[in-house]
Amino acid sequence: MSIELRMAWRNVWRNPRRTWLTVAAIAFACLVLVFMLSFQLGSYASMIDSSVKIEAGHLQVQAEGYQDDREMRQVVRDPAAVERALSGIPEIEAFTRRASAFAVVSSEDRTYGALVIGVDPVHEPEVSSLESLVREGSFLGSSADPGGSGDGALVGELLARNLQVGLGDELTVIGQGRDGSVAATVLVVRGIFSSGIDDFDRSAVHMPLATFQEVFAMGDAVHEVVAVGRDLWEVPEIVRRLRGALAGLSQTPPLVVLDWNELMPGLLQSIQVDLVSGLIFYVALILVVAFSILNTFLMAFLERTRELGVMMAIGTTPGRLGRLLLLESLLLTGVGIAVGIALGCAVTLYFQAHGIDVSGANELLARFGISGRMYPRLSVLSALVGPLLVLVVTGAAALYPALKIRRLRPVEALTHV
Amino acid sequence: METTNRSTVMAVALGLLMALGLALGGAGLPARAQAPPEAGTLVRAAFEHYRGDASVGTADMTIHRPGWERTMAMRVWTEGDADSLVRITAPAKDEGNGTLKKGADMWLFNPKVNRVIKLPPSMMSQSWMGSDFSNNDLAKTDSLVNDYDHEIHATESRDGHTVYQVRSTPKPEAPVVWGSLELEIRDDHVLLAERFFDEDGALVKELTTSDIGELGGRVLPATLRMQKAETPDEWTELHYQELSFPDSLPDRVFTLTNLRAPQD
Repeated sequence: MSIELRMAWRNVWRNPRRTWLTVAAIAFACLVLVFMLSFQLGSYASMIDSSVKIEAGHLQVQAEGYQDDREMRQVVRDPAAVERALSGIPEIEAFTRRASAFAVVSSEDRTYGALVIGVDPVHEPEVSSLESLVREGSFLGSSADPGGSGDGALVGELLARNLQVGLGDELTVIGQGRDGSVAATVLVVRGIFSSGIDDFDRSAVHMPLATFQEVFAMGDAVHEVVAVGRDLWEVPEIVRRLRGALAGLSQTPPLVVLDWNELMPGLLQSIQVDLVSGLIFYVALILVVAFSILNTFLMAFLERTRELGVMMAIGTTPGRLGRLLLLESLLLTGVGIAVGIALGCAVTLYFQAHGIDVSGANELLARFGISGRMYPRLSVLSALVGPLLVLVVTGAAALYPALKIRRLRPVEALTHV
Repeated sequence: METTNRSTVMAVALGLLMALGLALGGAGLPARAQAPPEAGTLVRAAFEHYRGDASVGTADMTIHRPGWERTMAMRVWTEGDADSLVRITAPAKDEGNGTLKKGADMWLFNPKVNRVIKLPPSMMSQSWMGSDFSNNDLAKTDSLVNDYDHEIHATESRDGHTVYQVRSTPKPEAPVVWGSLELEIRDDHVLLAERFFDEDGALVKELTTSDIGELGGRVLPATLRMQKAETPDEWTELHYQELSFPDSLPDRVFTLTNLRAPQD
């Protein structure tokens, strides 16, 4: 241990109370930064997760152009082959098939245009939260619908209100099949769902996929193979591998893999807006901490003017004294940051396990069906970015007294009280 | 949802398409103009020419897409401006589907579910998937005459006929969707083409007619093709097999009972 380091360490603890207070200030700032950043990043992940799991999924395999055009003929011809590719990727948790068509949906005396979606009653609940969104009645093919009789329908709450239908009522669906023929069927309302997303609740009717394929002349084809991974953060990797695995599957139009961001444009922007408003808060926090630390350092310098004068008088160069002061502030900040990161991680990990209730989440995000409990997510990034910024800013603050030493005159300093 | 615009029901499509088809393919007296006629009069005459008191016909419609094509056959009855009944006769899968338009109201019938559905006005103003016609073209056939100012901007000779190029701009405050229209009308009042422009003057779609010959005792085009400007390899073509023009049709033709259970 060099002499400077030893001197700096002793100097730091010459006034333990002040040192602890400064350490506490730095530690607190770091704690808040670690937690807030983890919370923001983590809650975004769970927001995205809960939002995409209403319908879109983490990723989908579709025919090229379907996402924009929604033409009946833009199908995934061989969904079984796509599912074989998905099965080969261990990060995939579940997948399901869907087909959809715009159609005229009519109750006894009301008629509306609606998006009719064929879902697999067995696999859909593994991928989307649709089953848990059922407010009245039951999910397709559940025990209340024995044998999953093919004519069940799950209707959005607002659409059901518009159509004036309740459980057990009949709906007539007339649309256009994949081959251009007139597709028509009668469904019985088995359940009514509410996702909180008005567009969806106003326009969607779910029916069993097998019935959909028969009515809309789909054959074995579907429009979407929807998958969720174990973790949102693994989606880019899954997409990359899936693209590779699907390369051998040729059809016209070709298959494409779309991730949640491509499926739900707008969601990410809303999150970015929220993140930016968070950043403003962080900057303010770091500035406050920086000024309080600057104050501490300046005090340490001013009250030791005489001592510094003595050291210079016996031959210590101003450069060496400057290094000493910088080292002191570095040690002080280092202790504060270490304590802050440790506490921040502890608090974060606690809430990561237990969650935070944010049922009154902000409106922008509520539009995407985000509500309920949020879970912060500790990562190397969220644990280090804030403290690193604190280190940079306090380092800059410590430069000021260190530079001031160069202007110190030993004779004047010696007489300083 | 944006896509909803492009998708309504085939049967609506058929009904409206037939309404237009007959409107354009209907009756009138061939009149050989001597001097260039006044533009408004010419358009009106062309309109009168293709609109009979009543008509009964059979036609088929082909929707063409890259790598895909489908043809349906249908029987059509019309009377006056507003009433029409369309019944699909082939392919077998779609046989019996029908559309009744009476005034501003429209109903669909599907034999498989054996139900009649009345379409709300919001759906009649939409276009539909799979065809290149939009409901507005079809439902508002007389809008061309009433909502636009017309001007003949060129005259040319083609196949022994004089063809007038008419440019039509909407009257102020007229409830129209187009920025302007261009018509090609032959001197015997046969409509050869109609081009639809948006408000920036860009071509959106074009209706062209062909196979001009005798149909139901009148000179009419048997084939109408609608093509969107953006997608040249996608079009919808309507072709008449036969057409006749009775003075009137029995009232029972344009009823829900007849839509549901054909009596002929």
